[in-house]
Amino acid sequence: MKWLLIGFIILQVGLDLVHSVTAFPFVHYGMFSESFDQPDSLLVYEVTVDSKLLKASDFRIYRWDMVQVPLAGFEQEQLGQDADSDKPKPGDSPALVEARLIYKSIIPPQLENDDSLAIHFPQWYKQYLSRLLGHPVRTLRVDRAWYHYTGGRLQLLQKKNWINS
Amino acid sequence: MNYTRDKKTLLTVYFACYYAVFAFFFIDSRLLSQYQPIFFNFNHDLTELLLLATGIPKWMIAHPASFLCADLLVLLAPAVLLGFYIKKGRFSLFLGVFFSFLLGFYLLLANIFWQVHQEPFILYVLLSAVFWTRSEKGFYTLLSGCRYYFLYIFVSAALWKLLRGGIFNGEEMSRVLLQHHSDLLSGACDSLSCRVYFFLIDHPALSWWLYFGGVLLEGSFIVGFFTRRWDKILLGFAVLFVVADLLVMRIPYWTILMGAVTLWIGPGPRRAPALSGIIIYETTHHENLPALLDLCEANFNRVVVYLQTLSYENLSGKGSPAQRWPRTEFVVQETDCPNRVFIQKMFSFGKKEGFSHLHLSTLDNNLLFFAYKLWINSELQVSLTVHEVNEYFALSFASLRDVTESVAKGILHRRIRNHTMFLPAMAGRFQQRLPGTVAVFIPSRFYQSQAPSAAPHRPFRVVIPGSVDPNRRNYEEVVKFFTDWLTQAITPSRSIELVILGDSNNPFGARIVAQLQNLESPFFRLIHYQGYVPELVYERQIETADLLWSPLKVNKKSSRNSPETYGQTTASGLTADLLLNNIPALAPAGFELPGSFQPALLHYSSPAELNAIFGRLLEDAVYYRELRGQIHSAFSWFVKENFNEAFELLTGLD
Repeated sequence: MKWLLIGFIILQVGLDLVHSVTAFPFVHYGMFSESFDQPDSLLVYEVTVDSKLLKASDFRIYRWDMVQVPLAGFEQEQLGQDADSDKPKPGDSPALVEARLIYKSIIPPQLENDDSLAIHFPQWYKQYLSRLLGHPVRTLRVDRAWYHYTGGRLQLLQKKNWINS
Repeated sequence: MNYTRDKKTLLTVYFACYYAVFAFFFIDSRLLSQYQPIFFNFNHDLTELLLLATGIPKWMIAHPASFLCADLLVLLAPAVLLGFYIKKGRFSLFLGVFFSFLLGFYLLLANIFWQVHQEPFILYVLLSAVFWTRSEKGFYTLLSGCRYYFLYIFVSAALWKLLRGGIFNGEEMSRVLLQHHSDLLSGACDSLSCRVYFFLIDHPALSWWLYFGGVLLEGSFIVGFFTRRWDKILLGFAVLFVVADLLVMRIPYWTILMGAVTLWIGPGPRRAPALSGIIIYETTHHENLPALLDLCEANFNRVVVYLQTLSYENLSGKGSPAQRWPRTEFVVQETDCPNRVFIQKMFSFGKKEGFSHLHLSTLDNNLLFFAYKLWINSELQVSLTVHEVNEYFALSFASLRDVTESVAKGILHRRIRNHTMFLPAMAGRFQQRLPGTVAVFIPSRFYQSQAPSAAPHRPFRVVIPGSVDPNRRNYEEVVKFFTDWLTQAITPSRSIELVILGDSNNPFGARIVAQLQNLESPFFRLIHYQGYVPELVYERQIETADLLWSPLKVNKKSSRNSPETYGQTTASGLTADLLLNNIPALAPAGFELPGSFQPALLHYSSPAELNAIFGRLLEDAVYYRELRGQIHSAFSWFVKENFNEAFELLTGLD
């Protein structure tokens, strides 16, 4: 038992030294430890349900998290899919196109989300929000807004509609 | 008893927190069956990648009913585990392992699907291993391991901030707040918290101090790696951290507080008296050990004494120490082994063998080393025999040795809370100096003599015990008395044998001996010793004495020049010698002994008084016989049974 504990601690410290990778249950406690630069812009997902903008201050902390987390996850997934796409992009070298095709062929399908996710996500998110808010959601709009901090407040730089359902 | 109570405490705290976590998952629509995910996230976690590679997450997305199964399993498994425990009174290895696996599996899924961030839940998985074991030792070992992990969480968080440079960025906290609260700050900022966040963002220097305070708070948990003494304070720090995290960062990290139960529950079996053992360290005053050894053998399962060869050979006047204390192990210091190495060996042995108690009968000249060893061995229940009360509190910075001893005393005063002394008055004085600590009176030895019988007709034997030391005793007074006594006109009715029962092999001793030898005649004979007097000889001389004489200098200086008063702040060897028999003892006025010692003590404050007392003892056989009888009755109180309570206080055996 004692040696199991010692082994665990050694692995934990070892993984801490590796930095960027974890292997549950060996995780890092390094939140907010990197030196942050002044951000040029801050991305905020603005969710409007039935023409009413949802505000963080109206939600319990974790409920608001659950409004935001699917959007962040979906965006990450979309970025990943774009990067992994086997479709050639303008400027891609033939070698890169070939490499991308090989990569797609060796990745097992269980490690990839469904290709149809982009189609199904808005409807699914609408339904989840209905469950979260406790009432049916008829219209949903999600904008990606970029803010800049200046003069002691956040100023809107740009807003792009992302999801409309 | 502790084990049962600690198990109940752990189970209550663990499962109260466990179900509270899932209750809040439910309230926030975070249960898998509520979330019903249609995609998974890729995090930088190898175990998650492995789970994804099995295809299970993808299969679950395709079969949404499986989310409800996962929720039900993770909610019901503890109920089954607890049901088994309540019914059988023990844990089931199978159910324990199954529960740990299930919890880990669920957390992985929750992170893959909705980014639960497992960090605060790791201790739930690790502590669940406690439910695998039926052994008390295993229980406490795991608990101790989880305690270290709990400390590690905070300490590593502080280290990350140091090593990745966050702490060195003067605008760190301002930027963290800006990024972390961007969705809150982008709206209409009309709440107090929002205005406070903007204020902190606008004042980077001020917010940096908050960040710095957080790092300090996290870093302070490092002390827990060296001692358990501050565990309750660290528990308070953990609560403070969680509250601050909620207010400043809007992160409800309360779930991590479940791990604080490891700070609350003690180290376990080492505290249980039934399994405990005691080590005694004694290298200078072995004559004070007998009572302690009698009590230790009666109260502890295992007793080990670390002592010098000379001490071992002279510990018991009759028979060997091994015969007199058969359940005690004696570890004798080899002649070429320095004290510090000997002490180090003792601590290593105690740790390896799981001893719960340590009694220091002396600190010899290694105060700082002892202070260090005791500080790092914080789980040891330690007690100390204090020989000189004033010296123990005296601070001096005159030399390097004085400085180190003063520093060591500061540590020892905090670390050692249980003390014994050879006189009740000393214990009283001690408690005035260090209130809130335990200070008890336990004599050097217990009284075992028979009732006095008619003395044989032989010379009247006067014994002066102790080494011939001008700092402690007034031998000139002895020389003057016998010179006057033997030169007065009246012929003594009985001849006198004077025994100087201590090493007189020093210039002062030689002078005193020479002066007394000059007085030798058919009526007066001197017996004296050079070098160490073996205990067998020593005890025989005391037992065959008709009178003990302790010509003490009541006010003396300690070995480090602190003023001490015999009977009040320090004890003379007389208290140990008296209990070898029921002999009356001459002592100067001002030297007080309490209660049961009193019938034996004959005070004098002038040569005339000394003369009168001596004459009566010598001439009045009836008085002398009755006096011995009174002393015997009074000394009969000095038995082991009457000091058990004091010993339990001393060793914390309640």
